[in-house]
Amino acid sequence: MVNPASAMLSPEILKDARARERRVAWRQTRIAWLFIAPAVFMVSAFLLAPVVVNVILSFTKWQKFTGLDKFAGFSNYQRLFAVPYFSEALTNTAFWVVGAVVLPLAVGLALALLLRNIPFQETLKSLYFLPKVLAPTAVGAIWYYVYAPHGVINSIVSTVTGQKFDFGWIYDDNTVTPSVIVTFVWQTVGITMVLLLLGLAAIPRDPIEAARVDGASSGQIFRHIIWPLLLPTVLVVTILNVAAGFTTFDLLWVMAGDYPGKRTLSLAVYMYYESFSNGGWAYGSAVAVVLGAMVIAVSAGLAVLQSRVEKRIR
Amino acid sequence: MAVDITDPQFIKSLIDKEKLSQRSGVRWLLVPIIVVTLAYLTPFYYLFVTIFKTTPEYAQKGVLELPSSLAPFLDNVAQAWNIAHLGAAGFDSFTYALIGGAIAVAFAAAAAYGMTRLNLIGANGWFMLIFTGTLFPFQMYLVPLLFGYQRLGIINTWFGMLLVYVAICIPFPLLVLRNSFSGISKEIDEAARIEGASEWRVFTSMIVPNAIGPLIALFLLQFTFIWNDLLFSSILANGIEVRSIMVALQSLQGTYSTLGPNVVITATLISSVPTVVLFVILRKYFMAGLQLGTK
Repeated sequence: MVNPASAMLSPEILKDARARERRVAWRQTRIAWLFIAPAVFMVSAFLLAPVVVNVILSFTKWQKFTGLDKFAGFSNYQRLFAVPYFSEALTNTAFWVVGAVVLPLAVGLALALLLRNIPFQETLKSLYFLPKVLAPTAVGAIWYYVYAPHGVINSIVSTVTGQKFDFGWIYDDNTVTPSVIVTFVWQTVGITMVLLLLGLAAIPRDPIEAARVDGASSGQIFRHIIWPLLLPTVLVVTILNVAAGFTTFDLLWVMAGDYPGKRTLSLAVYMYYESFSNGGWAYGSAVAVVLGAMVIAVSAGLAVLQSRVEKRIR
Repeated sequence: MAVDITDPQFIKSLIDKEKLSQRSGVRWLLVPIIVVTLAYLTPFYYLFVTIFKTTPEYAQKGVLELPSSLAPFLDNVAQAWNIAHLGAAGFDSFTYALIGGAIAVAFAAAAAYGMTRLNLIGANGWFMLIFTGTLFPFQMYLVPLLFGYQRLGIINTWFGMLLVYVAICIPFPLLVLRNSFSGISKEIDEAARIEGASEWRVFTSMIVPNAIGPLIALFLLQFTFIWNDLLFSSILANGIEVRSIMVALQSLQGTYSTLGPNVVITATLISSVPTVVLFVILRKYFMAGLQLGTK
């Protein structure tokens, strides 16, 4: 701010003014503390402090109610790699992450491209988005009966093949994880599709028209124009779904509650099972730490990738 | 290829070709869209035929067959309502979602105000501290929270449950509101301050009304999250007096349940009513909230 009067001010008055400014800044900071205090307190007390305690607990030998008195070094972590359940849960988690990223993207992109230019687009968009509003617990309860021996899938298969079919999709080692992933895709493909449609809408039409006039095929246009411009949106969706793939719990717990080996369904389920069904809190904490380290590492990697892609486009 | 692009005949033929290809393209697209949409809707169809069946009827008929009468619906609702105590659980969840969501968004808004509109020294550090709360998977909170809640004696209490929900629903709204508030012109609060308005006054009557859209969208997202939560409530408050609607729903379902699928499916419908109604009425805000999440 240029004030013509300031030319006449002596250094002393200026110094005074600066001191006053600093006092005002401190006064504002003190008021600001009041504004941020509730949020800072709640988040520190109920989220950040538990994370610290979780890490500490994972190094203790500690059964329910006996307290956290015994330091146990890395024994919980050593046990992780010694038991087959953990590695099975880890494998299934990897399967989940890949499935939760690739399938919603593939189906969502196909749907977005299909729905882009047709009538009733808004209605169909809302329809596909609706399952996301439902609770995973409710979705899981419905799909539990979809997969049941006397359920929807078997009923359709029976009608089509003309033979009685009563396969227990969520009781079988080979089909339980893919079945729950299909439900996950059913629930989340709508939100993925809506986000991709937003990304598609932001792509300028001119280069596409130009390429078409030059005789480019739809495949070429997609690969060389649409896909690179859509990549930032794809990465945002990937980041959201990676986290979901790592941590999905409700669907698995509700749908596969009857599956005998349910503790191996994913790390999130394994952590819950060991901590709350088996009462091994310290061991469960170690599982949670491993899970957290993986989620943060993968998400951070993707976030770096995304910022690079965005920079390249701009 | 030499073409006279000023030739009107040529341009017209190009336009016709383009229109034709677009129209046939749309017609060709309709087939996969209809097939996929029908497959997609099957679970909803299953839900709507099942809620009108009695338990014996469900066992005898094909699961996708139409019910013989609409009357069993009321009985299914009554059974689900009474056996799972859906009324009490629904009231608990509704108060958690309504009050918890509102307090969380209010705290986040106040913090965002402090960080963007006042000369807070170290504002970025404070922001990072709270933002850290979005990084960890929920699994890392569970054991320490249960342990702490037992120590403090707030396990299985309505108030204890509310505290967790408030804390979890602060970081994401703060992230969004910090952006929205930064976009509001600084001149309006400077002007109000010169008029002698207190910071609280500036916050409530200048900033909040200017960001009402994102505030509503964020509240809806948090409401839905709390209403739909199973993980936290199943651990911290599964006593029948304070349990959430999702814990109640889950107790109906599974092998040990003696209830027919018709009753359980009816319970899923009842437990989904509030969020679906909100979605239908406030779809605009939901979609806006969705976009907030990706920026």
